[in-house]
Amino acid sequence: MSVRGTHIPEHLRLPIAGVTPPPTEKEGQRLFPTGNFRFFRPVYRDKTPPCNHACPTGEQIQKYLDFVKHDRYLDGYLTILEDNPMPSVTGRVCYHPCETACNRAAHDEPIGIRSVERFLGDFGLNLEENPIKKDLPPLNGKTVAIVGSGPGGLACAYHLRRKGYASVIFEALDSAGGMLRAGIPAWHLPEEVLDKEIAKLTGLGGIEIRCGVRVGSDPGGITLDHLRTGYDAVFLALGQDVGRRLDVEGGRSRGVLGALEFLRETGLGRPVKVGRNVLVIGGGNTASDAARSAVRLGGGEATIVSLESEDELLIVPEDLEQAREEGVRFRPQHSLVRVIADGEGNVTGAVLCQARLAKDENGNVRPQISEGTEFEVPCDTILIAIGQVQVLDWLPESFTERGLVKADEYGRVPDDSEAVFAGGDVMRGPSMVVDALGDGKRAARDIDRVLSAQPLEPDGPVEVMPYERLNTAYFRHAPRTPVPLTPAGTRSKSQKVEVTLAYSREEAVAEADRCMSCGVCNGCDNCYIVCPDISVMRDARENGRYSIRTHYCKGCLVCVQECPTGCLEKVPELDFDEPDAVVRMETAFAPYDGAHAEQAPFTRQLIEDAIAEYDRSKTVQPNGRGVTP
Amino acid sequence: MHHELTVWSRGIIMDKEARDVSTCIATAARKLGYHAENVSDYVDDPDRTNCLVRRYARFADTPILDRFVYENPHPDWVVLVEETIIKAVNFFRGTEDGSGVLVVNSARDPGYLLKFLPDAMTKKLNKLVVVDAVGLAEQRGGSPWMFVRDLSELAFDRMSTEGAVERLAIGMGIAAPLIGALVAATGELPIDEVASVVADRDAMLRGAEQHKVIQYASA
Ligand SMILES: Cc1cc2nc3c(=O)[nH]c(=O)nc-3n(C[C@H](O)[C@H](O)[C@H](O)COP(=O)(O)OP(=O)(O)OC[C@H]3O[C@@H](n4cnc5c(N)ncnc54)[C@H](O)[C@@H]3O)c2cc1C
Ligand code: SF4
Ligand code: SF4
Repeated sequence: MSVRGTHIPEHLRLPIAGVTPPPTEKEGQRLFPTGNFRFFRPVYRDKTPPCNHACPTGEQIQKYLDFVKHDRYLDGYLTILEDNPMPSVTGRVCYHPCETACNRAAHDEPIGIRSVERFLGDFGLNLEENPIKKDLPPLNGKTVAIVGSGPGGLACAYHLRRKGYASVIFEALDSAGGMLRAGIPAWHLPEEVLDKEIAKLTGLGGIEIRCGVRVGSDPGGITLDHLRTGYDAVFLALGQDVGRRLDVEGGRSRGVLGALEFLRETGLGRPVKVGRNVLVIGGGNTASDAARSAVRLGGGEATIVSLESEDELLIVPEDLEQAREEGVRFRPQHSLVRVIADGEGNVTGAVLCQARLAKDENGNVRPQISEGTEFEVPCDTILIAIGQVQVLDWLPESFTERGLVKADEYGRVPDDSEAVFAGGDVMRGPSMVVDALGDGKRAARDIDRVLSAQPLEPDGPVEVMPYERLNTAYFRHAPRTPVPLTPAGTRSKSQKVEVTLAYSREEAVAEADRCMSCGVCNGCDNCYIVCPDISVMRDARENGRYSIRTHYCKGCLVCVQECPTGCLEKVPELDFDEPDAVVRMETAFAPYDGAHAEQAPFTRQLIEDAIAEYDRSKTVQPNGRGVTP
Repeated sequence: MHHELTVWSRGIIMDKEARDVSTCIATAARKLGYHAENVSDYVDDPDRTNCLVRRYARFADTPILDRFVYENPHPDWVVLVEETIIKAVNFFRGTEDGSGVLVVNSARDPGYLLKFLPDAMTKKLNKLVVVDAVGLAEQRGGSPWMFVRDLSELAFDRMSTEGAVERLAIGMGIAAPLIGALVAATGELPIDEVASVVADRDAMLRGAEQHKVIQYASA
């Protein structure tokens, strides 16, 4: 109520309803806080986006996508490095469970997370200096022995180093990388990229890789006991690098190879002979990689023979499509019966038959053959890709179970030292690079806990943000930025040409800009703008810098309704029991006793006078004529 | 005998409920032959969503003499239609020590609610009555804080708040169990007589039976 310019006659300046003390006075100031209108309070409460939850290393995807959209590439890169030491690797080969989980799929198409990750990874690889190096803690004098230099071992060494531990990685092969080098072909992951990523790790200082050392089985070599006694803890990341054999007639003929062995030799740069008419037996990713490499190296044809039907193939969709484009053929629901060889023992053909994929009660594959459907096909090479195992006979029996290393929920192997951990394929069976990276990260955390006498604790529960809780009206539909590929005709002729290419800077930014920031504040400022009561405060447009002025917020919940990401939630006000959060008013609109309710004596007198005057006017007319009431 | 009932509520979204509590009490009292007044609209800003609003009723066996005073100077019955009001305002101003019957619509433990009362207010309590009126009312609509079916119904209530129209049924929704708990806990008015002026009689009786009481002073 403005009183400027209004003359208020003396007799109206009364403490009656509606006339309240001005805001300059103490009691007047207590009138304005409207916080007690509120019975739900808006609260900033970040949830876990599904992408982040699905990534086994727990990459903070939303966070780095947000950095990329604002051209803050170094910040984005550093964000990835908190969880994953090798984004240039995962940015190329990861099977991206994050994208499968991405909420944007329900809106239009999932975010191309892996491609943005690759963009950031390559940005980081090209930096002159590793930006995390200067902030590393000094070494604390403890050293962990790691067996296997695959992604599991490397990630463990990296995260241990970030916590101040040194490590020695023992690797049986002549070069480091595990399946990244000895399995995944160079046209997926170029050698130079892997070399640079590994050099980045060893460059941190405190991580030593000893290649050509097979722990356990080399006569006179290093044993598990050496590791247990010579180091503070042990991490076993052995992978599974022995190809399962297929017991068929003629299986030992020249030209029959394990696909893993074929890929390993190729990956290690050794000469491998492969014919022009190749059969690959198996229905998974190894079969696909082997077939595609065979096309490249032999210059001929490759056919994948699988028990699986087309729909059952365990090949990731994009790889399947690319394999088809490169001319790989498929013979689903068939089985190899026997190998045909010439007089010198060289493969000349194979007998196949119709078959179906079936499993026994333990889940083991038991092909169901259709009798009488055998037929012959010519071929000169047969690659067997029917699964992988690991040699574990050098480990105590109590460490192993059904061909895998046995571990508890923390990845801890049952050993008296309580400091032997395991992870990756040797613990899980065939899985993904990013699983191994996640296991390495978790093992580093838990080794640190064990060595610093802290209890091991499971991860706390997280709340994953569902699509339904976003304010989807804010997100316009925009198609996913397609990932560029080398044309099939070009790439299928070379073992070195990368199949999947990188996003340009503009593409990476555009793709990052599609992220809906599920459940996480990204400083969009919407709450700040829509609040009708100027009760949303912030000093910077950044997550964590917003707050609600609880003395004034009326709880209209416009901000909650309009928060695009759903990080703002309504919480019953009475859940908060801190005494000062709301100003308790003396009454709703009357700051002091008597302003309302209690009739001030002066007011009562005014009323009495008015009534008396009215009564008089009814009884005595001015002209003297009386009226009977 | 003289009782002053102040019902505290929130503008628009629970205003109708508050009005219904005071109206039903005053109507029942008058039917029983008492002198009674009901102030269903006065001074607070009822057209502001969530704003604290009050509705008043009073009844006595002698004529009520305070003229032009709409707000109760000495409320001894206080109903909070929404639980958060317990920490928002001094609803016991003017209440005599040990005389206040406080009825709160809440599903929470009475002990938790008491945490919010300063000593000066606890001193005024005669009894604390906690009734989960939302749980006991007929469930309508999906919204936990608008006890109405939809927006048009709310708009209708808003017009009635300003005196333009009125829904015919009085004593629906959460008002019914609140009236039930109040009448049962105070024991001054016969439950059946009050029930005869409440639209949702069943919900009122549920409220009369299902509530928690913490007794302070004897009446
Ligand atoms: C052909 C192929 C393609 C694949 N493609 C993909 C892909 O595109 N994306 C994806 O996410 N995953 C892929 N995978 C799966 C992925 O490679 C594995 O899940 C991952 O590498 C497992 O990592 P790891 O650290 O557990 O073991 P590995 O990478 O297998 O590394 C284990 C290392 O331990 C060494 N080692 C074993 N025993 C000893 C010992 N006693 N002493 C010393 N060293 C030892 C081995 O030589 C090896 O270098 C592929 C797998 C294969 C076989
Ligand atoms: S590592 Fe894999 S799952 Fe994790 S963010 Fe990258 S692509 Fe996604
Ligand atoms: S939209 Fe963004 S935050 Fe949401 S799941 Fe996809 S990548 Fe993650």
